[in-house]
Amino acid sequence: MATATIARGATTSASKFGDPALLVPIIGAGVLIYLAVLPLFMLVVGSFQAEVAPREFVYTLKNYHNAYASEHTYSTFMNSLIFASGSAMMTFFFGTMLAWLTERTNTPLRALFVPIAVVPLILPGVLESIAWIFLLSPKFGYLNVWLMHLFGLSSPPFNVFSLPGMIWVHSVGQVPLAFLMMTAAFKSMDPSLEESAMMSGANTWQTFKRVTLRLLMPTAGSVLLILFVRTLESFETPALIGIPARIYVYTSEIFLAFNEYPPDYGRGGALAVGLLLLSAVGVWLYTRATKEGKKFQTVTGKAFRPRQFDLGPWRWVGFSFLMIYFLFVVLLPFLVLFWASFLPFFAAPSWSALDKLSLDNYRYLGGFRPFWQAMKNSIILSTLTATIAMVLTSLVAWIVYKSKLRGAWILDFLAFVPITIPGIVMGMALILLYVAFPVPIYGTIWMLLIAYVTRFIPYGMRSSSGSILQIHSELEEAAAASGASWWETFKRVTLPLLRPGFVAGWIYICIVSFREFSTSVLLATGESRVLSILLFTMFEQGQVTIVAAIGILMIVTLLSVVAIFYKLTGKVGIQT
Amino acid sequence: MSQIRSLVWAALMVAGSICAYAPARAQSLDEVHKAALKEGGTLNFYGTLAQVNAEKILPIFEKRFPGIKVNHVDATSDLLVARAVSEARGGKTLGDVLQIPLENVTQAHDQGLLLEINLPEAVEYPAGLKGSFWTSSDLQYFIAAWNTNLVKKEEEPKTYDDFLQPRWKGRLIAEPRDLEMLLAFAKYRFKSDEKAIDYWKKIAAQNVEFHKGHSQLAELLLAGQAAACLTCYSHHYPSRIKKGAPVNYMLSEGVASINGTAIFKNAPHPNSALLFARWVASLEGQKAMAQGGRNPAHPKVDPVDKTKTEKAYFITVADLKEFPKYEKIWKEIFKLR
Repeated sequence: MATATIARGATTSASKFGDPALLVPIIGAGVLIYLAVLPLFMLVVGSFQAEVAPREFVYTLKNYHNAYASEHTYSTFMNSLIFASGSAMMTFFFGTMLAWLTERTNTPLRALFVPIAVVPLILPGVLESIAWIFLLSPKFGYLNVWLMHLFGLSSPPFNVFSLPGMIWVHSVGQVPLAFLMMTAAFKSMDPSLEESAMMSGANTWQTFKRVTLRLLMPTAGSVLLILFVRTLESFETPALIGIPARIYVYTSEIFLAFNEYPPDYGRGGALAVGLLLLSAVGVWLYTRATKEGKKFQTVTGKAFRPRQFDLGPWRWVGFSFLMIYFLFVVLLPFLVLFWASFLPFFAAPSWSALDKLSLDNYRYLGGFRPFWQAMKNSIILSTLTATIAMVLTSLVAWIVYKSKLRGAWILDFLAFVPITIPGIVMGMALILLYVAFPVPIYGTIWMLLIAYVTRFIPYGMRSSSGSILQIHSELEEAAAASGASWWETFKRVTLPLLRPGFVAGWIYICIVSFREFSTSVLLATGESRVLSILLFTMFEQGQVTIVAAIGILMIVTLLSVVAIFYKLTGKVGIQT
Repeated sequence: MSQIRSLVWAALMVAGSICAYAPARAQSLDEVHKAALKEGGTLNFYGTLAQVNAEKILPIFEKRFPGIKVNHVDATSDLLVARAVSEARGGKTLGDVLQIPLENVTQAHDQGLLLEINLPEAVEYPAGLKGSFWTSSDLQYFIAAWNTNLVKKEEEPKTYDDFLQPRWKGRLIAEPRDLEMLLAFAKYRFKSDEKAIDYWKKIAAQNVEFHKGHSQLAELLLAGQAAACLTCYSHHYPSRIKKGAPVNYMLSEGVASINGTAIFKNAPHPNSALLFARWVASLEGQKAMAQGGRNPAHPKVDPVDKTKTEKAYFITVADLKEFPKYEKIWKEIFKLR
């Protein structure tokens, strides 16, 4: 709709190019407010309502009292804090080590590990949790059983159903993000400072400690912060490991408030508002920190190649670290899912289990309607979400950065708002909004589409604004001067120039939509169920080996999406 | 004379009421099917039926009544009730049929979500297996099961008393919400609250590990998470044993509870709902339930596999009112939240 209006406004006169009718940004703002602000409004209103009789409401502060002054408030707060800070630190440690070893040292075969470090990104969080339950469950977890055998232990060394277990499982899933962010930081570091240190007689370790680390401080702070916020918002590990272990964090409390009888929306809403505020503060601090960071900017137009540290014999230690990481953190979860997907029921790898292996689970899935329905939904949703989000954000980014309209920053701000909304909070807000909505989209995949598009607009904005900024207005002006209409210019000049960024953003949104769990868990039911939710319900129903088979098919699907686009575009860019 | 007149009146009224009632009664499933087809051909089925059962049972229905597709919204029972309540809160009814444990059916009824209706098929059921807004779809038996790799033949339990022996310490799992066990033991096994509480306290001293969801419990047992499960469902085992799983289960005694079918008030597809509810309660529907691996409630239909216990302690409708009382004690005994 927005396109049509721009086209009409612009075609009336070529000179008006870049100054379309005021209507466009207003419509843009309207869409963004509808998507991002309205649900939040409903949520806040709902958090002050109490049901006194069936479907009779009064306004009250009681919900906040119930949510924040109960006997569980303290334990939930502490669990969330430990879970989020522990995960942030562990993720940061692994991400930084991987990035440093592959980017800045002479560790053997380091280039090989770069794509490997990113691969877990396509493993949905639900599957990551399931795979680690298979490995680290106290009684039957493969690693536990194996270590007990090997060392003759009387009790299992690991218990995944614990806070450290949750931290581990969540962290290893997040490492690729930390790795990408830290790689970018290492890449953009001016090596002259390190070289000066070396020349002044500092050894590798001293240089690393005194120069490299300090240069990294601002980035490290903001990466830690964003990891903290993301953990706080996550629901995969809290659902699959936390709830069975009776370790509750904010997201699980919200889920339970909504899903236990009698459902307590007021309390759930109050908890959600709290989580929303926490996350908003985190994001605000993050943006502030990254802006501050520019003061210490080391990224300049100057061409340089960061120098490599010579680790000497230690490079083999680095190599072992990479190998162990690859084997245990990347490969093992895949392998355990792969193995389990051929079993009739869960059993440890052994000679006797070997003759139980069959393709039965896959054959079963062939005729299992809910699986195909969920697969169809997931594919439709992820491709539509990616397309709509990218088209929408390309237009918004164009208005923000190219139109020179006053107040365009409001659009920029609105498009950023959803990043502060935790997935489960979004799900809850949308239920409150759409269950009473006149248009019958409640319970359909269209509600999920709205949720996904809203959640991933900020990601789209990231890549769209990046590429829009790179396009010099001269090119568009040249087209306009040659008599091209606004639409022709957009189609023949702007869009082709936008394509690489568009495609990269598209793939990323496609992947995150395909694995989305925390919003879908409240919204997807029956016919609108997506793969991640099917995995979750079937895992809860105990069909673990079929779940493993679905997981393998899901990974294959995602890998082929990435492969196809890799072929088409020649490169895959992923941003965080 | 006046006596005769009033007699005639009475006779006429009876006849009239029979006539008025007759069409509803006489309506065959096929006639309901015709009416259902006009509703769009979808049935929103809110049911806890596990996928393994649903994939066998629902296609039988769809084949029997072409043109009606079942949209199975499956989740745990408290989640399904919560969902229906949220929808009602938004002024919507999306579900047509609800099929969950009776305890949760009554919760939905308390919220005013269910239709009061007597299905013609319910006539065949004993009084304890039907009510003004529900008919039993199937029964489930809470039994004990064990992993045969971890429990030697001679150690296999014969009754629930065997689990008090010290060798079970730290080797038991159970479902945290199965207060039915305590209730049934108190009312029907020991016929004494005191003795039942004493029994379960001794069990608690064996350090029972709790996991939510009976299917998952079964799967954990197969995987060797524990040697035995105290509150598993009997119908979960025959299919697993056929696949070669190292597991066996106890049929000497168990607790039986009811799953009920109900129709939502203001269901979007009322005739489809009626069709499904009547079919499930009918002989053919109950046979389908049996084929799908469930324990039929119909007195004339037997389960396909051995899932009924020799001694069964039935949870009755009247017992439901006492759930809160026993839930509190159950949670205290096991220190559950």
